Amino acid sequence: MGDEKIDKTIMIELSNTFKDAVSDVDVPSPNRAVARIDPGKVKEIMQFLLDNGFDHLSCVSGVDYPPDKMEVVYHVTSYSAPLVITLKASLPRDDPNIDSLCGIYWNANWYERETYELYGIKFNDCPYMKVLLLIEEMEGEWPLRKDYAGYPDLT
Amino acid sequence: MTHEATQITSPTKPSEILLHLGPQHPLQPGPFLLDLKIEGETIREAELKIGYIHKGMEKVFEDRTYLQILPLTDRICYLASNSNNDVYCRGVEELLGIEPTERAKYLRVLTNELCRLQSHLLGIGEYATDVGFLTMFIYMVREREGVVSLLEAITGSRLNHNYARFGGVANDLPPGYKEMALKTLGELKKQVKSHDEMLSSDSIYLRRTKGVGVLTAKEAGELGVAGPPLRAAGVEYDLRRMEPYLVYDDLDFKVITQTDGDVFSRVKVRLLEILESIYIIEQCLDQMPSGPYKQDVTPYITRPKPGEVYARIEDPRGEMGMYIISDGSDKPYRFRIRGPAFATAQALPPLLVGGYVADVAAIAASMDSCTSEVDR
Repeated sequence: MGDEKIDKTIMIELSNTFKDAVSDVDVPSPNRAVARIDPGKVKEIMQFLLDNGFDHLSCVSGVDYPPDKMEVVYHVTSYSAPLVITLKASLPRDDPNIDSLCGIYWNANWYERETYELYGIKFNDCPYMKVLLLIEEMEGEWPLRKDYAGYPDLT
Repeated sequence: MTHEATQITSPTKPSEILLHLGPQHPLQPGPFLLDLKIEGETIREAELKIGYIHKGMEKVFEDRTYLQILPLTDRICYLASNSNNDVYCRGVEELLGIEPTERAKYLRVLTNELCRLQSHLLGIGEYATDVGFLTMFIYMVREREGVVSLLEAITGSRLNHNYARFGGVANDLPPGYKEMALKTLGELKKQVKSHDEMLSSDSIYLRRTKGVGVLTAKEAGELGVAGPPLRAAGVEYDLRRMEPYLVYDDLDFKVITQTDGDVFSRVKVRLLEILESIYIIEQCLDQMPSGPYKQDVTPYITRPKPGEVYARIEDPRGEMGMYIISDGSDKPYRFRIRGPAFATAQALPPLLVGGYVADVAAIAASMDSCTSEVDR
């Protein structure tokens, strides 16, 4: 919650600082910005955003694009400005894994656990990578993937 | 307060006990399991286990048309059904590239604020029961009844309103609504002021709540909390002010903050927000323009262009966000619900660590969580 001005110029700074890791920067409306990031650089990029006043990780979600792609979508915003930055990291569908943000944003933990149990995306170094909402027997089912066939009704 | 541990460890010393609170417990708004490791009266570690009423809503929404989803958004949390309708509709409207009519914007603000009133009233009531103040619960439910009737008069239902539509709202105000609303709200204002006085002067209540469960601004930010718990710590974070949607730009209101960040402040913020919401509703009733309350033509089948949107709203409990990805068909490709209660629930265990077992009920209830929305 610093005094620095938090606005869309951050996107220019971001793409200048991480030339190879940030692409497809777009500002669809005054309070929204979108970019695609390299999954290997996610921690550095988030640390950069945190240092520049984006102190609130709003949401982490997974998106499934069969047959070969998956995405982790981060919504980062600030407690002192209305700009929401959407960052997307593409992962291979056969072995999706990405670095955990728990060391940077404390509240990433539950979002990452939720994404893990619903999509099977592994977050490396997450301190407690276990199911959150589902029952433990459903670990490995990945119910929000598009090709999920349903869980057998055992009742 | 520590926010390192997210996982509880087994007791190692003979003086330590593992205490399960839940999944069914009178202090809870819904089923969750709160595991506490206690030593004497002090909580050493805490872990919250959720998912007992996981409904798979995000998956369900991927298989419904945009119009079919609308009544389902009510069910995310019945106390915030109107704001959920509204944020969903604003998201789809942005995808469709349409705007609600001016009168519809006012009607949505009006119902959103009524929704905030009844949510805060029940929230304080439930909290009061948990700190052993049952009388306040009865008062609050009595007051809430009037507000729910006001919502029922507009929307036709008491809890799951299903009122907003793409580009407008379902119906206009009934005749004579303004007089009816002003009468009820005037009465409510008086009652809330007197309850506020009671809650600020009762010495037993003050000793029970002042300085208990303190969440400072810095910690609240690190824990990702929004809404009344954050404002109670002194941060002016209110999306109605920061990212004005609908007609909040034209309305006059204060962002209520307190400085202490304890149980008392969180409840105080809600009490004062009730008065502020009443003020907003009065302005809405005065300023509301005449004109159509919905678009002339709303297609029965909604097919937004491919794209995505992240719409958010200041829910009674904090920041409600919906991330909708459209692939051009009549169903969303991905629907993500980012609920405020989920964020608040995640911050609960670190807040409890170091406190006393006797304060768990007060702290948990003052965060005003909603299990239905946490689990979705």
